[in-house]
Amino acid sequence: MGPLEHLPVLMVVIFFCGAFLMPLLFRWARPICAPLMVAILAAALVMAIIILQSVYQLGPQLYHLGGWPPPWGIELKVDLLRVYMLLVLFVISLWIFIYALRDLGNELKEELIGWYYTLYALLVGSMAGIALTNDLFNLFVMMEICAITACAIISIKEDRECLEASFKYLILSAMGTGCFLLGVAMLYMATGYLNYDYLHGSLVEAIALYPRNLLLAAALFIVAFGTKAALFPLHVWLPDAHASAPSPSSAMLSGLVIKIYAFALLIVFYEVFPAEMLQGVPLNEIILWLGSLGAMFGSIYAMLQTDLKKMLAFSSIGQIGYIFMGIGFNHEMALIGGLYHVGVHAVTKAMLFMAAGVIIYATGVRKISDMDGIGRNLPLTMAAFAVGSASMIGLPGTGGLISKWYLSLGALEMGRPFFVIIILISSLLNAVYYMPIVINAFLYHGEFQFRVKPVPRVMLATLIFGMIVIIISGVFSRPAVVLLEDAVSRFF
Amino acid sequence: MEDQIVRLTSRLVVPFIQLYGIYVIVHGHLSPGGGFSGGAIFGASLVLIAVSFNLEAGAKQVSPQSASILESGGALGFALTGLAAVVMGGSYLANRAAGFPIGVTGDLFSSGAIFIITLFLGAKVASTIVTLFYNIIEGEKKDGTPEKHSG
Repeated sequence: MGPLEHLPVLMVVIFFCGAFLMPLLFRWARPICAPLMVAILAAALVMAIIILQSVYQLGPQLYHLGGWPPPWGIELKVDLLRVYMLLVLFVISLWIFIYALRDLGNELKEELIGWYYTLYALLVGSMAGIALTNDLFNLFVMMEICAITACAIISIKEDRECLEASFKYLILSAMGTGCFLLGVAMLYMATGYLNYDYLHGSLVEAIALYPRNLLLAAALFIVAFGTKAALFPLHVWLPDAHASAPSPSSAMLSGLVIKIYAFALLIVFYEVFPAEMLQGVPLNEIILWLGSLGAMFGSIYAMLQTDLKKMLAFSSIGQIGYIFMGIGFNHEMALIGGLYHVGVHAVTKAMLFMAAGVIIYATGVRKISDMDGIGRNLPLTMAAFAVGSASMIGLPGTGGLISKWYLSLGALEMGRPFFVIIILISSLLNAVYYMPIVINAFLYHGEFQFRVKPVPRVMLATLIFGMIVIIISGVFSRPAVVLLEDAVSRFF
Repeated sequence: MEDQIVRLTSRLVVPFIQLYGIYVIVHGHLSPGGGFSGGAIFGASLVLIAVSFNLEAGAKQVSPQSASILESGGALGFALTGLAAVVMGGSYLANRAAGFPIGVTGDLFSSGAIFIITLFLGAKVASTIVTLFYNIIEGEKKDGTPEKHSG
């Protein structure tokens, strides 16, 4: 076995090792903690790039933990789709972490920062595990780690709002995991397998024998992943949790954590469930409609918010709706659009939360109405906010347009122009609440009323990186789209 | 609480509880139990000392600092044992396939890497129970870091 063969598991294990090293190092060698975390995240990114190359050359790869072949052992799988998710995951978590280095001292007590690094590494590692695994029970374990660490990076701030929000999140997310486990039990009962590929093979026969059980399992999966990814009627935990958390946590949660569950739903629905299962009952249709409702109502709620971070949180509910629409259309173009939006929205929303974090860091302002005229004092930050807003609305030149374009193409090719109208209306709604902030920030006649602290250069540099990525994703979208076309072509 | 009966009983019982905890940990691959249950039993004995005597006496057995070091160390050990298998040429967490010596079935040392992992797991669970206990006892401090607690 060459060393490269172990890369899939190393991408997960490196984070878990790092996570458990952090408390020890923070005690004895505090200065090397942060560089080590950056090194771990960068190493994972390099590994993902190496894997991308080898997947292009050799095709999908499987890894058996402990050398036990499936259906007994845990299997990890690397294919283009998962590598795409991993690349998004590692780039963005490295980027958010560099921002967090400066912002955390502002929001957390000094002695908690080491634990924050631990939680961060566990969170990224578990998300990598969710993306890589090829086994339902392993997915459940990784989802649990992800859910608990995601709650903990909210509640680590220890003010009243954070504790309340993270408790609400914990309960609802535990409900989601419970539904998931019940669904897994149903599938296991009917087939006797937990491995995706084996399940896929045996479900074809099992549908005829146990149609109700399997339908229930599918419904439970929709509820489970829907709760965790904040699909429209199950989103109630998200606004409080994402708005009250420290800004790096908000960026992480809104940028990546909700996406990874949407991705898991995609994998389960396209890789595990055979096409026959989705024909009898319109499961895709349900996801599609819930996604569309989310895209509309998330935006409508966001318009009513007065708190900047809460507005961004509600906007995430709208944007995750697009991703679910992409999954629900069951069409290649739309799925590419949805997956592209996973990456684009992860960058954009993370950057908007970072910009909000910079605004809070520099001025302490959280209310949207207090931000009039802030553009003259924080030009770069508000420029980043403007670029992010443009991408959220889907203006040309930003990544947001590309994903909405492919979604709409998919809708048209399916002969359902109604959903194009929904995408258009919700884009307009996005403009209604994002644009006034940008316009008032730059064109307000009076002076900005609050004192402005100087912003550290590192924070501004991370914002510039975000702007560059958003514009590149809008102008040079071809390579990523080609990768996604290769990745999803096997489903259709 | 100054209760002679409780103190005397727990002083008598604690060594047996700890021995039993270790027994359950090392026999994890042979009998019901293992790292988690054994570690919980061992941790409970340390909590019993702290409850029946006082927090200082409990901290003298295992201080909150060393508990939190053991906690991270145990988990790290688990992960590194898995990595050791990779270094030895097997898959991650491979046991016999990576060349860990497997004894005769039924012997105490008959499970290769599982034995090492169970030991780490036991240390981790026992120290986690202690850490949780101290965190709950001193929850009012709202601190979250065990090293800050005087115990």
